[in-house]
Amino acid sequence: MLGTTTRSTLLAATLMASVAMPVMADKASGTLNVAFTKELENVDSYFNSSREGVVLQRAVWDGLIYRDPETNEYVGNLATSWEWIDDTTLEFKLREGVTFHNGEAFSADDVVYTVNFVANEENGAKTQRNVNWMKSAEKIDDYTVRIHLKDKFPAAIEFLSGPVSMYPDEYYAEAGPSGMGLKPVGTGPYKVVEVVPGQHFVLEANESYHDSPKGQPELARIDIRTIPDVNTQMAELFSGTLDLIWQVPADQANKLAQMDQFTVANESTMRVGYLQMDAAGRSGESPFTNKLVRQAVNHAINRQELVDALLQGSSKVVYTPCFPSQFGCVQDVTEYEYDPEKSKALLAEAGYPDGFSIDFYAYRDRQYAEAIASYLNAVGIETNFNMLQYSALRELNMKGEVPVSFQTWGSYSINDASAMVSQFFKHGALDSTRDDEVLEWLDVADSSTDPDTRLEYYTKALKKITEEAYWAPMFTYNTNYVFKTEVSYTPTADEVLRFVDMSWN
Amino acid sequence: MTDAADPLAREIRGPSPQQMLKSRALSHKGLIFGMSVVVLLVLVALLAPVLAPHDPYEQSLMTRMVPPVFMGGTWEHPLGTDHLGRDYLSRLIYGARVSLMIGAIAALISGVIGTAMGVAAGYFGGKVDAFVMFLINVRLAMPVVLVALAVVAILGGSLTVVICVLGLLLWDRFAVVMRASTLQISRRDYIAAAQVIGASTPRILLTEIMPNVVNNLIVIVTLEMAHAILLEAALSFLGLGVQPPTPSWGLMVSEGKNMMLFEPWLVLIPGVVLFVLVLAINLMGDGLRDVTAPEGRS
Repeated sequence: MLGTTTRSTLLAATLMASVAMPVMADKASGTLNVAFTKELENVDSYFNSSREGVVLQRAVWDGLIYRDPETNEYVGNLATSWEWIDDTTLEFKLREGVTFHNGEAFSADDVVYTVNFVANEENGAKTQRNVNWMKSAEKIDDYTVRIHLKDKFPAAIEFLSGPVSMYPDEYYAEAGPSGMGLKPVGTGPYKVVEVVPGQHFVLEANESYHDSPKGQPELARIDIRTIPDVNTQMAELFSGTLDLIWQVPADQANKLAQMDQFTVANESTMRVGYLQMDAAGRSGESPFTNKLVRQAVNHAINRQELVDALLQGSSKVVYTPCFPSQFGCVQDVTEYEYDPEKSKALLAEAGYPDGFSIDFYAYRDRQYAEAIASYLNAVGIETNFNMLQYSALRELNMKGEVPVSFQTWGSYSINDASAMVSQFFKHGALDSTRDDEVLEWLDVADSSTDPDTRLEYYTKALKKITEEAYWAPMFTYNTNYVFKTEVSYTPTADEVLRFVDMSWN
Repeated sequence: MTDAADPLAREIRGPSPQQMLKSRALSHKGLIFGMSVVVLLVLVALLAPVLAPHDPYEQSLMTRMVPPVFMGGTWEHPLGTDHLGRDYLSRLIYGARVSLMIGAIAALISGVIGTAMGVAAGYFGGKVDAFVMFLINVRLAMPVVLVALAVVAILGGSLTVVICVLGLLLWDRFAVVMRASTLQISRRDYIAAAQVIGASTPRILLTEIMPNVVNNLIVIVTLEMAHAILLEAALSFLGLGVQPPTPSWGLMVSEGKNMMLFEPWLVLIPGVVLFVLVLAINLMGDGLRDVTAPEGRS
C-alpha cells in the first residue's frame, strides 16, 4: 500500500516537473536556446580565458577593428580608419554616434580608459598576451585616439580586431571587472539582460546597434545555459528545450546528422594537437633527450588513422607546431610517415631494444589520448597514463616534470605563427626543448615588421624544430555545431559562435 | 531437508555432520547460483588468454564501436568493439581478472588486519579492547569513498594503489564482527578449560576461538569482496582507479558513457556483468552463512 502511494506520488512529481519545464523555444517565441559545456568564470572578456568568453565578448562588445571571418579583411568597426604614425604608434578615427547599452556615448575617453586599464599589468587581465603589447592610449580629440605600443608588434591589428574590445569608461571605473561580469555593458549587437554567474545568460538584441560590419542582430533573444554533460545536451535538443549545441564530439554528431530535424555543420578550428617531449631533459633522466627516440615517437603514430577515425570532419594531419593557415607556418618541413617497424628500429638504435616505461600525461580528449598511448605501447614505449586537469598539468609542465604529454593549443584564433611557435620555443617555462638557435631565429621573426624577413626566419625555426623532432604534431581540431533546421547559420573557421549571423528560416 | 520424509531412516543411519552440511548446501538455491557464477568467473579470469578471441589491447580505429551480435554485429566481435576498436568480449574477460584480483586481495588484506584486531579486542578485553574500539571509531568516521578518492588522487591511480587503499580501508566490518563473536566465545567453558590446562594464548586463539568464528568471517569476506569490486569500479569510472589501457569494468562503463544515448550496449554489457558478479558473491556469502551458522540449522 505504502509502495503504491510512493510510486504515484513520484509519478505525479515527475509529471509536474515535465509540465513545469521552460516554454518550448522556437521561431514563434523568438528565443534561441543554447548550451555551453563549461562554466564561464567572468563575463568580463579580459578576465576569462575560455572559448565561451570569446563568444559572449563578440556578441556584447565591439573592437576598434573587425576582421571579416570569410575574407580575413580588416574593416573599421568602432574606428572608421587607422594609420601607423610610426612603428609603435597607431592613430584611429572613431565612429561617431555610437552609444553603449546603458546610454553612455562612445568617444575617445572610453578607448583611452579601456586601453590604459587593461594594459596595466597590476589590473590583472587574465590573458596578458592579448594586451601586454600595448603601452598606453592618448586622446587627440573627442573622436581621435592614439595607441602607443611597447615595442614593434606586427600582429597589433589582428589583436585589435580580436580580444581587445572597448568598455564604457564611466561605468567600468565604477563597476570594475566584477561589476562588469555581473551586469555587462558594451556597444555590441546583443545586450545582456540576465547573468547567473557561470550558469545562465540571457541576451537581447540591441535595437539601436550602429551600422557595424558585424551586421544587425536578427534573433530577438538568446538564452544560454551551462550544461556540462553532452548526453544531457542532446536529450534537451531532442525534447526541444535547446536549439543549438556546439563542440559536439564527432561520434555523436554523426548520429545526429542522420536525423532530419537537425543541421550538423562542421568547421575546422586553429587548435593543433601534439605530443610534447622533454627534449631538454628537465624531468631528469629522459629518453627523449635522444633525437632517435623522438623520431621513433613521430614514426609510431598513425596520424591519418586518428584523423579519419576519431577527429573526422575537417581535421587535417599536421607536421608543423602551428596551424597551416597562420602567417609563417610553412608546410615544407620534415614529415614522419607511420612506420612502427622503423620506429622500433630507431628505439633499438637509441639503446632501447625492449622499449621503456614512461609517465604519459593528458588533460583533454581522453579518447584521443588513449589512442595515442596505444600507438606508443605498440612500439614498446609503455605508458603510465595520467589524466589531469589543465591547470594541474600546466603547473607540472612549467616545473619541467612532464616527460611526455598530449597537448593542444588554439592560438587564441590568431592567424599568425607567433601565437603558437613563439609561445613554446622561446625558452619560457613551457618550453621543453630549449634550443638556442630556434630562440634566436624566432626573436628576429617576432620583432620584424618586414613580412619576408619574418617568413624566412619562421621557416628556419620550423625546419629545425621538425628536423630535430622536438614535438610530434599530429592533427588539427574541428568543431561540430548542431542546430534545429529552423535555425540558419554558417559557422566560421575561428571557433566563435556568432549570434549576430544567425536567423530563423 | 530432502529426506525429511523419512526421519526414522535418517536417525538409524545417522548422517555425519559433513553429510548434513552438504545436503543443506545443495538445497540452498542462492548458494548454488552464487557459487556457480563465482566459480565460472574465476575460471574465465584464470583462462583469459585461452578464452579471449582477440588481444584486449589491440586497437583498430577503423572498426570502432561495432555493435554486438545481438544488435546486428558479426561473430568476428561477438560483443562488439569499444571506442578504440578493441574487442569488447576480450576486454570483458580480462576485466574479470582485474575485478576478481582487486576484490580478493583487498578482502584478504583487510581480513587479516580486521580479524587480528577484532579477535585481540574480544579475547583480551580491557585496554586492548578500548584501543581497538578507538581505531574502529576513527576508521568509521572517515567515508571510504572520499578517503579512497583523495589518496588515489594524490598517489596516482594504478592497480597496486587501488588494491592497497581498499585493503587498508575495508577492515572495519571484520574488526567489529570478529570482536563481537570472540567476545561471546571467550566466556565459554571450553575456553576456560583450555586456559586451565595451561594452553598458550596463540594456541587458544588459533585452535579454540578461530574455528568457532570462521563462519562469520567467511560471510564478511564475501561482503567485503563485493564491496571492494564495486569501489574499484566506482574509482575507475571516475578516472581515479585502474588506468587505461588496462581493461576494468568500471573503466569500460566510464568510456562508454559518452555514447550512452546512441550505443547503450557499451555501458550495459560491463554494467550487467558487474551486477551479476556482485550479486553472485553476495548470494554466496548469504548462503554460506545460512548453511554454516548453528542458529541457521532449523
